[in-house]
Amino acid sequence: MAESQVELTGDSVAKLMLASYEHAYEQGWTDGLPIIPATPEAVEEFVAVSGRPADEVVAILPPRKGQATVRVIAINAIMAGCRPEYMPVLLAAIEGVTDPSYPLEFMQVTTNPMTPFLLVNGPVRQKLDINYGTGCLGPGWRANATIGRALRLVLINAGGAWPGVYSKTSFGSPLRYSYMCGENEEENPWTPFHVDRGFKREDSTVTAFKASNFCNISGGEGVGPEEILRQIATNMPPMYGGGDGVLLLLGVNHARSLHEAGLTKHDVQQRLWELARVPASHFAKAFADTERGAGRGDGDTVWRAATPDEIYIAVAGGPGPQNVYIGAGMPQTRLIR
Amino acid sequence: MVVTDMFAKFARRMSSTQGFPYVIIAQTPNPIRQLEPEALRLRAEAMLQTVIDGLTLPGSELQARMKDVLKDIQPQGVARSAVPV
Repeated sequence: MAESQVELTGDSVAKLMLASYEHAYEQGWTDGLPIIPATPEAVEEFVAVSGRPADEVVAILPPRKGQATVRVIAINAIMAGCRPEYMPVLLAAIEGVTDPSYPLEFMQVTTNPMTPFLLVNGPVRQKLDINYGTGCLGPGWRANATIGRALRLVLINAGGAWPGVYSKTSFGSPLRYSYMCGENEEENPWTPFHVDRGFKREDSTVTAFKASNFCNISGGEGVGPEEILRQIATNMPPMYGGGDGVLLLLGVNHARSLHEAGLTKHDVQQRLWELARVPASHFAKAFADTERGAGRGDGDTVWRAATPDEIYIAVAGGPGPQNVYIGAGMPQTRLIR
Repeated sequence: MVVTDMFAKFARRMSSTQGFPYVIIAQTPNPIRQLEPEALRLRAEAMLQTVIDGLTLPGSELQARMKDVLKDIQPQGVARSAVPV
């Protein structure tokens, strides 16, 4: 990402802000939404809060092999509307999506609109007011809206994923503006997601999934654990580009009901794996063949995941008989320092 | 390089980042995922001449054929496009 300094003038703050937005839009630096101008003073502050040298290369981003230095990341974080203290989350997320096993290059250029989904765990959720309860995937929370947005701007500006030029996504996706929430650890009757991944409960982490969709699954409350799981399992269709697995954001009501019925998290994974199967005859032959080849099917049925372990479960959201199914997998968890 | 047409210009952009802007690219219409083996074979055969030309023609001839490709690598003034460029 080439850095340049531009001086803009305006006879009012509003006109100056508008000029900044227009300039950034013309340069192709934005996702289409207004930006906050990254002044040298702000960049300096963001870099300082990160605790890392401005010129440190955090990652080389595909497809253009752009250098995402701490300074470049700070510029994009400012443009996205982040607060300086969000930098450590963003840096950890970028480290996650550039792990050699994470298919970022493919995601940056493919026609499928797959995108990173960020799940945040630990005390950082309260510290930064990252929403994990009611409305956690919707509008209203600055950290949720801007950290995910900053990641997208880094992928565009440093990675070069300009729509139609390097990125070939046929439709794109609203999930590519920002796709992030915290886990509702306080109402999770089991262990938090990051503890399952080997971290301590008091650690703060961000996990980047390769994700391809958002599907709210409604209903099933008050009918017993088997029916709750059947309702969820039959609304988790197999799909191309879903990262080979499932991220189920289990709502707090259903999590409590399943736990009170004596089910462990592994029991839930196992039963969903058994129930989320559809006759192969329901699918195009080529798709069924692909799934079978990937270990997600036999001669008769297509399965949603190859193993129960590829059904990742976290608890999120507020009260209500709702859950969210995300076709997702390949999670990369990083400590937020 | 063998690609679908959707990715042909992208392929040249990527090869140019590796120092090979004039790489020979054989292309076929996207998508191909759904094609049965026989249809796929026909597509492959249609690309064979490009591959053979790339392997056998003199460099000067290939370069003459590709004299306009550099404009594909970074289209001037394009920051985004609703039509793949």
